[in-house]
Amino acid sequence: MNVFTASTRAAAIAIGALLLSANAAADGKLAIKAGKVVQGPGMPEIDKGVILIENGRIAAIGADVKVPWDATVIDAPKLVAFPGFVEAHSARGMDRPNENIDPAAFLSVRDSIDPVNFYFEDSLRWGITTINIQQGNNCVIAGQGMVVRPMGITIDEMTVKTVSGVKLSATPKAGMSAATQAQALRKAFGDLQRYLEQLVQEKKDGNDRARREALFQGRDLEGENAKGRAMEGSAWKVAGLELIPRGEIDEKQVPLLALVEGKLPAFFYCGRPMDVHRALEVARDNGFLARTTLVISPACYKAADVIAEAGVPVVLEGPVVFTETDPLTGAETEIFVPGELKKKNVRFALSSANTTTESLWFQAAQCVGRGMTKTDAVASVTTIPAEILGLGKQVGSLEVGKAGNVLLFSGEPLSVTSWVEKVVIEGKEAYDRSKDVRVKHLMAGKAPANTQAMGGSASAEKKVVCCEGEDPAEHAKHLEAEAKKKDKGEGEDK
Amino acid sequence: MLAIISLMTLGLHSGSTSMFHSASEDQATARSVLVRSEKLYVTPKRVIEGGALLIQDGVIVQIGRGLEAPEGARVIEGRVVCPGFIDAWSSFALEENAFEDDRVGRATRASDALDSYVDPRFEQQILGAGVTAYRVQPSAGARAGGLGAVVRLHPGKRADQSTLLADCCLAGGIGLARDGRAVDVFDRVGEIDRWIGALSDGQAYLEEQNEYRHELEEWQKKIAEKDKELDEAFKKAKKDREKAQTEAKDKGTEFKEKEYKEDKKPKAPRFDEDKAELARVASGELPLVLEVHRALEIRSLLEGTKRFTRLRLAIAGGTDALECAEELKARRIPVIVWPQPTVGGRPEEARVKGMGLAAALESAGVEVILGSGAAAGIGSRDLPLLAALAVGHGMQSEAALAAITTRPARMFDVSDKVGSLEVGRQADVVVFSGEPFAATTQVRFVISGGDLVVEGR
Repeated sequence: MNVFTASTRAAAIAIGALLLSANAAADGKLAIKAGKVVQGPGMPEIDKGVILIENGRIAAIGADVKVPWDATVIDAPKLVAFPGFVEAHSARGMDRPNENIDPAAFLSVRDSIDPVNFYFEDSLRWGITTINIQQGNNCVIAGQGMVVRPMGITIDEMTVKTVSGVKLSATPKAGMSAATQAQALRKAFGDLQRYLEQLVQEKKDGNDRARREALFQGRDLEGENAKGRAMEGSAWKVAGLELIPRGEIDEKQVPLLALVEGKLPAFFYCGRPMDVHRALEVARDNGFLARTTLVISPACYKAADVIAEAGVPVVLEGPVVFTETDPLTGAETEIFVPGELKKKNVRFALSSANTTTESLWFQAAQCVGRGMTKTDAVASVTTIPAEILGLGKQVGSLEVGKAGNVLLFSGEPLSVTSWVEKVVIEGKEAYDRSKDVRVKHLMAGKAPANTQAMGGSASAEKKVVCCEGEDPAEHAKHLEAEAKKKDKGEGEDK
Repeated sequence: MLAIISLMTLGLHSGSTSMFHSASEDQATARSVLVRSEKLYVTPKRVIEGGALLIQDGVIVQIGRGLEAPEGARVIEGRVVCPGFIDAWSSFALEENAFEDDRVGRATRASDALDSYVDPRFEQQILGAGVTAYRVQPSAGARAGGLGAVVRLHPGKRADQSTLLADCCLAGGIGLARDGRAVDVFDRVGEIDRWIGALSDGQAYLEEQNEYRHELEEWQKKIAEKDKELDEAFKKAKKDREKAQTEAKDKGTEFKEKEYKEDKKPKAPRFDEDKAELARVASGELPLVLEVHRALEIRSLLEGTKRFTRLRLAIAGGTDALECAEELKARRIPVIVWPQPTVGGRPEEARVKGMGLAAALESAGVEVILGSGAAAGIGSRDLPLLAALAVGHGMQSEAALAAITTRPARMFDVSDKVGSLEVGRQADVVVFSGEPFAATTQVRFVISGGDLVVEGR
């Protein structure tokens, strides 16, 4: 679906250059000397700590780490090092999400992710270093998501994990109701079961006929049938599936089969508390409850008991404060949703998809402001989302062996007056605020001199227009037009 | 007015029937309630004067006269005690999208659209009127309303826990106004034809399945025999083959295998979820409830459905049902009557008979069931009032009581759970201060699903 025109690519390279210009330590060694190192939720802080990253992984961390002579050094005695934030679920960064389609688990966001989407650039500003792109809140069964790092200009460079799971939605998509949505969900798995049963039956019938033919013709049956493997899973199974080599199964049905066999994680969207019941029922009936994460709206705190009972983690989409309106009196009550989830022992990750802010760190800070412990708040944007994505041993905290995803904050990490100064992803410097053209533009109110390639003459207002969601081809045209204007001396900086 | 207090924590809060057997004596008595009355309606026809009801752990364990309260039991009293009322057509707790969903089909389930998170005060209002169960149907104005469900009003329980039957009927409508505009006469005729066609499809689907099963059995028998023959003849066949191979070699010709033929295995009919439900309707397993108002359409519908001898049809609305009363009576087709079966601001609304229709149909020998009509979300609280209006128009109060208890329970296949008082059942009981349909009567207590959920002052 991604149509790259030459000009889009040019723009992409320009952004890439911005992000990677300081990338000195490719596959080499990088030492970060920070004024303070915050390793992760509930872990000790190290004053004047050193993080040594070798080949993308943290090789050593501590106050007295010896820096090898051949390592590139980032010396930042005034900055605070912090693990990169992890986004457990985001529907952004895509060219055209395939929202609003019927069951289509065979599609992948891989074909739709747009590496030059502004979302990825913004992610770096906010210190988000690992993102699960997973669209489909407005679907029945949407495609498969993938985990990316916001760095690189091709999808391959960005890939962290090729499949993060299948997306399902218990909330009716546009034009449907809870009843028809439930029916469509049931039908998808019912169709799979009927399809597999038919496949096995046809194979059996064919084998039986072949045996009778051989008997009739007086020959011994030669050759063995190619063998698949028996169906796994805890909810329902189709007996005799071992007769079918897995390659013979319709590839459109494969992802759902993998779900039922417990081999793929599921992300289930619930926009309303009643949808939580439906999601858990479908997950239970088809054996993938243990690998399910619910993506919930704030209103779903009402179903916290049910979620806790099912033992599944959640990603909270939307603001952390939910305003409940009494249907009779109109009185409004504020509910601090993460607090409710914590009370019921529901493991939750926060999401930057919300109306108040785009920043995971602001979300976590709000939680602290409302009385949550720092450990819990930080975990909900680092270690817990990492675990949800099956990357608990890879990202989420600064520990030896994990990926070298490090943020350097200008001050206390959860403070609103702190900025992300530098971002290091797997030992490569991915972002440097001092070289961030757009931030400079925003702060200075006018484009710096050396930014022609970026279409730097665009006003702040226009930048909003050509942000995420815009077609890349359109965006490229827009940039080109801006560049031409500038060439002709028609720039708007009059 | 009633003052309604939720007594979830008081007295007999327990839904579990199994606990009754395992609980110690102390606990058992603590969870007992004795309901005393001057007049106990076991069913509308079976009345025990001075009857009482003993409930333990939410289950009715004794019905009769002169029952003693076990030690520690709570005793509640009222003049008249009835089974909890059932609203035959309600929309309570239905998610709002379900009303306008074009994709609702025959296999769509109302139970999937029930919202467990409706404000409990609404539920309390309905319970406060003595209504403890209702039938719900998505898409009240749609041609196909899918599968209806019977649900108990049971505070604190989730929708799936309080659903008594998730597929109690298939429902739909004929000639109903859509988006405030009446459907023209040709479309209305077309809609009847489509329903008759759908029933035929259901019947054909059923026959196809049966035929397939039969053919498959035959084929399997034949093949089993053939298998045996082939097994026995294998040694000879092998020899023949070797012989043929040597012969071919000697003659220098190409050896050819004998061609094997057998009867083709019969093909299973394609699964179709809509037709599967229609087949259940055609075979009488599921009742069919069609909302239809005009005499012409009721008549055509009755004519068209004649050949489906096992069909369990009910007419809903039925503004002009009186015109066809004889046939309805003869074919024992009940009519679900509700107060406003209007068809959209036209002169013919003058035909609307209100609850007088219930009385008129009843006296013409047609079975009447009352419903609140799926209008507003909490319309069900008016159900006893509708029954009272029907009585005011001349319906016998015994019949009016049956129209909101035993009749809907039987129609929708839940008479083993609700609609009458029976030992061994979860208690759904209303305790009145006087005759149920008198305007001055108060609801004193309501027990639903064994829990005391309403207490009047």
